[in-house]
Amino acid sequence: MSNLKVNIAGVEFKNPIITASGTFGFGKEYSEFYPLSALGGICTKGLTLRKREGNPPPRVAETYGGMLNSVGLQNPGIEHYLAEDDKRLAKEDVVVIANIAGSTLEDYIAIAERINDSHADMVELNISCPNVKQGGMAFGVLPKNVEEVTRAVKNVCKKPVITKLSPNVSCIADNARAAEAGGADAVSLINTLSGMAVNYKTRRPVLANNNGGLSGPCVKPVALKMVWECYNAVKIPIIGLGGITSYTDVLEFMICGARAVQVGTANFTDPTAAYDIAKDLEKYVSENDIDINDLVGTLILN
Amino acid sequence: MKDRIATVIKNRPCAEGIWSMTLAFDDLEEIKGAQFLDIKLPDRSKVLRRPFCICDFDKDAKTADVCYAVVGEGTKVLTEVKEGDKLNVLLPLGNGYSPKGKRIMLVGGGMGSAVLPAVITANPDKEFFVYLGFANAGKVVLEKEISAKGATVTVATDDGSYGKKGFVTSYAREAVDTVKPDEIFVCGPEVMYKAVRKSFEGCGVPVYVSLEQRMGCGIGACLVCNCKVKRADGEGYVRVCKDGPVFLLDEVVL
Repeated sequence: MSNLKVNIAGVEFKNPIITASGTFGFGKEYSEFYPLSALGGICTKGLTLRKREGNPPPRVAETYGGMLNSVGLQNPGIEHYLAEDDKRLAKEDVVVIANIAGSTLEDYIAIAERINDSHADMVELNISCPNVKQGGMAFGVLPKNVEEVTRAVKNVCKKPVITKLSPNVSCIADNARAAEAGGADAVSLINTLSGMAVNYKTRRPVLANNNGGLSGPCVKPVALKMVWECYNAVKIPIIGLGGITSYTDVLEFMICGARAVQVGTANFTDPTAAYDIAKDLEKYVSENDIDINDLVGTLILN
Repeated sequence: MKDRIATVIKNRPCAEGIWSMTLAFDDLEEIKGAQFLDIKLPDRSKVLRRPFCICDFDKDAKTADVCYAVVGEGTKVLTEVKEGDKLNVLLPLGNGYSPKGKRIMLVGGGMGSAVLPAVITANPDKEFFVYLGFANAGKVVLEKEISAKGATVTVATDDGSYGKKGFVTSYAREAVDTVKPDEIFVCGPEVMYKAVRKSFEGCGVPVYVSLEQRMGCGIGACLVCNCKVKRADGEGYVRVCKDGPVFLLDEVVL
């Protein structure tokens, strides 16, 4: 019998489509286009203990088949989220994953404790943002740091924890293992690839921040390979992301080992992208009478 | 706000490096002046839509016009769109400009002039005094269209090859005392806003501007198109796409 439901760390998703952090705000804007309940889950904008202003503009540069962003974790802070967005999202019939970030280990612990008071179903640990000077990615590079920050958060957080991995590392499978050793309930990958866009006339980078994070269809092959590597390295579920724009992309990620996926940049190309992908996937699963879970990790190497 | 399928019923050059496009829709909601639309390009290598101000619109015919300068790869792709082609267009976006006063001075700098016709169309009960500035005669657009709406139009070019010679902001500033506008709305490049801030200071009339920034989602979710404003609660970033694009010049940090 066809099935689209997936389960990650005891949390049931009605389908494997989740919107990626930073591309979907707190769901409010996109809920004007479709009911959020059509999705498996939504991942909030990265939250920090205190409000962050982010980087100066321009913060975006289009590249071939993708884009660079350097938002720099602008967000209203965890208290604002708890007061303004948490209750609204709790009413939606969709899994809510709160993405949290910090500059120090203490920050991560404090915000993880604070998120316990929210209605969020899960927490995604952002240790791989390439756009902030302190923390963020600094915790996401070396396996020992990945393990340390994951463990620190797990010690205080009552919700299942997903550690979001950076692709800008020497061996992402080692970092997935480190997250698992630190107690992560799942890993998500890949965050953006570090990159630069240059204006030959001004001889300057297009982004005010000089560097940014690359996302969009151009990163998909990198993401697929990394998902497969991590699938072979850990037992915890993997959430795959990187350049997904269609239901066939979702199938490819799941075949490489992802239990669920996140849709990010595609939301900008089409505000209904995540919704459309979920509908198309539903049609595929029903027409082919398959349980989507049976696809996970079924890649046949040549 | 809705993502709609538009039929391109016109797409051709109207000045040097500047094109005019008319989009027809099956349905069109109320549009305010200085709102914008976001076009999905028919080129899959381009993941971001392209935002353009709604140059003008016709409520009955359900059409919207876009006047665009061909400056980059995206606008070049747009020139290849044929009449009869379909495009995904998200509109109307942004806060728009709805003047409260009766006598309104509109000042356009270059492609910034493209915002002005819709402001007049959306506010038929107001009196408009329009000042348009361009680099040279080849770049002059929309003078006839705006005059046809019954507004008084003054055109200046930097090199004097058409209309008055010099910066349009100087002519607009001179006219403030005789026109006695209730409000002034300016649309142009940032350097023009800096000049306006300096020369219009103390004129006693509120000045509104429309800002431009590279955009991601266009609907307020991704926070890439921010600009800095100074308000009672301090300096901070606001979204050009959702909180703007129209702001009081006094609060914009340039």
